[in-house]
Amino acid sequence: MTENIIEVKNLTKIYEEGNVLAVDDISFTIKKGEIFALLGPNGAGKTTTISILATLLSSTEGKALVNNYDVDKDSDKVRKSIGIVFQEPSVDGDMKAWENLELHAILYGMLKRERQEKINEVLKLVDLEDRANTFVKNYSGGMKRRLEIARGLLHEPKVLFLDEPTLGLDPQTRRKIWDKIKELNKSESKITILITTHYMDEADELADRICIMDHGKIIAMDTSENLKKQLSGDVIDIQLEEIKERFKIPRIINQVKEIPGVKNVSLGTSEGNQPMMPNIQIPKGMPNISPEMIQARIRETLSDPKKLIMAWKKMPMTTAMFLNAPLPMKKQIAEMFDEKLLEEVPDNIREELIKVKKGELEETEVDSINSISISCENGGKQLPMIIQKIGENGLKIKTVNMHQPTLEDVFLHYVGTSIREENSNHTKGIKKMIQMRQLRK
Amino acid sequence: MSDLNIEKAKINYNAVWILAKRELLSFWRNKSRVISSLVQGLLFLFVFGIGIGLSFNPIIQGIYVDPRAFAGSGIAAMVILFTGIFGGMAIFRDKMFGFMKELLVAPVSRRTLMLGRTVGVALQTMLQVLIIIGLSVAIGYFGNDLNLIWRVLLIIPVAFLASLGIVGIGLTISTRLRDMQSFGLIQTFIVMPMMWLSGALIPLPIQITMYNPFTYSVDLFRFVLLGVSYFPFWLDLLISGSFGALLILIGARSFNKMEISQ
Repeated sequence: MTENIIEVKNLTKIYEEGNVLAVDDISFTIKKGEIFALLGPNGAGKTTTISILATLLSSTEGKALVNNYDVDKDSDKVRKSIGIVFQEPSVDGDMKAWENLELHAILYGMLKRERQEKINEVLKLVDLEDRANTFVKNYSGGMKRRLEIARGLLHEPKVLFLDEPTLGLDPQTRRKIWDKIKELNKSESKITILITTHYMDEADELADRICIMDHGKIIAMDTSENLKKQLSGDVIDIQLEEIKERFKIPRIINQVKEIPGVKNVSLGTSEGNQPMMPNIQIPKGMPNISPEMIQARIRETLSDPKKLIMAWKKMPMTTAMFLNAPLPMKKQIAEMFDEKLLEEVPDNIREELIKVKKGELEETEVDSINSISISCENGGKQLPMIIQKIGENGLKIKTVNMHQPTLEDVFLHYVGTSIREENSNHTKGIKKMIQMRQLRK
Repeated sequence: MSDLNIEKAKINYNAVWILAKRELLSFWRNKSRVISSLVQGLLFLFVFGIGIGLSFNPIIQGIYVDPRAFAGSGIAAMVILFTGIFGGMAIFRDKMFGFMKELLVAPVSRRTLMLGRTVGVALQTMLQVLIIIGLSVAIGYFGNDLNLIWRVLLIIPVAFLASLGIVGIGLTISTRLRDMQSFGLIQTFIVMPMMWLSGALIPLPIQITMYNPFTYSVDLFRFVLLGVSYFPFWLDLLISGSFGALLILIGARSFNKMEISQ
């Protein structure tokens, strides 16, 4: 008997139709009683991995042992050793909760008395005992998830597979399910849990060890703490007072980048993905135009309603820029338009402008993106210099927040570049995803 | 595709029973389905029972048959076709709503799953047939001979046998089906030809109907309910039985090959 409950060696899965390499030669082991998270963006191969371990798919190459049984040769024993909660709901809505569980128990060969006791027990565990006789179609998403977890536990598996257990659930429900998962792992039976997720916080909160996957490969595997340690240095988030002259921000970013020790500067804080300020990037192949020139053109356009209308009509990007612009800017623009001019404006923008004129829009936090995030060695030492640079440009700082890198920073560090790559040839990425989806069906 | 080493001969009968029960339960709970099948049955019985009598006198093997009994037995057999195929295709619904994954990951053989579903749908079909026969008996289509009780009791196993092949068709189709749109196609290209070319509602020359396996099920129904049939009853039994066995086998094969969608 080994300590490991799951052993995966050189596992590879190729979906033959379309030659998609979903899992590319991965190896890992999971110890008894561990919570292990597979973290990765959509299409990274997490679900394929879990499906192979659950004997739902066969591997192309490599070996996988669950509870010391080979998934290919001893699939029945593997199946009895595992409980699984699928990514998408898999309960029968036309049956009552109790009936769903009963069917499961019979399929897993449980005897009648044992069955009834156990069903009551798991229902209590997920706080659904008073809803046992409700049709599952009347359950909320969170209740369905909890029922599925209960079902996964019914036959006392050694390992519980959770495939995106909190996908599409509200924060409170997520929290509840997290608590349940932790509770399970802490209880005397100390069940091993393999969880796939693309939520950083979920992996961070739950997992003893995290395995980051992308494009079917494992790119990092360690405890959350150790992963974070790999990103040395600090993250500094700076919130600025309301900025009237937004064009100064790129200049500040450039200046801050020159400070020794600064590794990366980006708009917006690392906490929460706030929509970015119109982030103007010069398309490749365009002649070298200095940013100042572009800003001058933008200012010119902004001051002339006719030119603005032209821009909105001809360049779809500018529409998005306007809709994402901060409220003061929208107000400024709205003032330039009278009734007559409004008629020429494209529909979606006109609606927005009318709203602004009537004062229906309220400034929210999201509206004013005026923060930058800097990752930097020795943050404390460099902080005064950074602040000075910002001061020199005549901007006022509202708050400064320096912290250790979060798991999200780590994730972006490993996976971020490739996501950006896929963005540039977006269609290719989507094609691959569609291909994979279809093949799984 | 891959073979998943799950074709184990062992059949878990408890599992078969619970799966069949699930099927029956869903039939019973879906009251609209029960009511609509009642109303539809009545309408068919009314129109064909009266219509056939007005247009011609059905004659089987030289024996004159009461047109209302002819219609009643044909419609009862026809019900098998509709309920069986679409019942078998309910697997598709399980596939869509993810429940299939729960079944496929369970430590039971696919044969068990397949059998459970087939038995469930066949029982449900049997119930529907009994409803139609009950209705036609109630409105006096089969006369009021005391022999009728035996005939109706005998129709129960016959209905079960006849539905196996039809459920098999439904299962085979639904394991290969990828979207809901194909339902109309199946109606047009499988259900309708099988129904109209079987002589269930309107008698057709044997030369046309003999190539349709469903004809023999209809004929068996007539033999049991009316005592007369186009073909000898043993031929009906043989063809219905082997057709059922064949389709169940094909259904089981495609069920085994089915991979799980995510």
